[in-house]
Amino acid sequence: MEHSEKKEISRREFMKYTIAALGGLIGLGYGIPAIGYVVAPALAKSQAQQWIQLGAVSKVELGTPTLFKVNISRQTGWIVNQEELSVYVLTENGRDFVAMSNVCTHLGCRIRWIADQGQYYCPCHNGVYDKQGNVVSGPPPRPLDKYQTKVENDQLFILEG
Amino acid sequence: MLTRFGNWLDERMGWRAVWEAIFLRKVPKVNWFYTLGSATLFVAVNQAVTGILLTIYYVPTPDHAYDSVQYITTQVAGGWLIRGLHHWGASVMVVLVVLHMLRVIIYGAYKYPREVTWMTGVVLLLVVIGFGFTGYLLPWDQKSYWATTVGTRIAGVVPFLGDWILRIMRGGNDLSAVTLARFFGAHVWVLPATLLLLVGTHLFLVIRNGISEIPKREARKQ
Repeated sequence: MEHSEKKEISRREFMKYTIAALGGLIGLGYGIPAIGYVVAPALAKSQAQQWIQLGAVSKVELGTPTLFKVNISRQTGWIVNQEELSVYVLTENGRDFVAMSNVCTHLGCRIRWIADQGQYYCPCHNGVYDKQGNVVSGPPPRPLDKYQTKVENDQLFILEG
Repeated sequence: MLTRFGNWLDERMGWRAVWEAIFLRKVPKVNWFYTLGSATLFVAVNQAVTGILLTIYYVPTPDHAYDSVQYITTQVAGGWLIRGLHHWGASVMVVLVVLHMLRVIIYGAYKYPREVTWMTGVVLLLVVIGFGFTGYLLPWDQKSYWATTVGTRIAGVVPFLGDWILRIMRGGNDLSAVTLARFFGAHVWVLPATLLLLVGTHLFLVIRNGISEIPKREARKQ
């Protein structure tokens, strides 16, 4: 009925819409790259996994978690850091090894093995794990994280990353 | 809905009067040379936005400055664009500011009652040059290092005070971590604060006094 009627648009209205559209385009032109720029490092994939040599298999005591410390280099931003990785290795038979991270699963403090009690203890919020890394008490939500292991030429390796 | 919200806000803020004073003010019939000031403002906003983004990654110390700039340019998504806009915007800024000044001189727009607008503009020109000078050092590459060595040495030829000025600019006898840190501080805190204050005054005066007409040849007296 009325749809054939031409809608008049005033010069002022036209300018208003044009300016708004241009402003919007410029805003998007800055906004989209800016968002990508800010979030990019957070979305970057973590570095490729790598096998890290912990040391001789013979160093692992039977039935007691043994602490291994290795230095690894890790790139963050434009800086390559040397970091120390601490891993508890447990073996009951000298053939099968369990390598556990010393990072508490609660809030990331470092746990340590208390030989007298036969438990791991986290000093931050009293998290306690048993020898196998299972939660005994305290706030940790899950057992200690475990690394994949392999033995080559009597050397123990873990898969990190 | 939007109009109602606008009314609600206007009743409490009076923003419509401000809007009208800024955007609906009467201007004489002028030409495109009169857009040079607005163009400068646009590029200044570009410099502020991209500059703020650059500080998210840039670190102003000799052991990190160069690497962090390389990281921005080659590793961060869109980093080349943000840095490029800031880099080229800096040059465009100086060009526009000078053209804007020439327009004001040629049309005699600095005359009564706009002298204070002109004076703030002169200081703004110096501020823009200050931005260029301090920003040039920040990538901490060979070019910026030697340009600042030369630039501060030029400041050092001022009679009597020269050596003293040079040492204050460098924060010591030589270009060092101290120089880089103070140039960064000037570039992102001192100069922006000054710029904001002066641009605020400059724009207030442009709106308060209105812009000048294109001068006309007076009818010859009989």
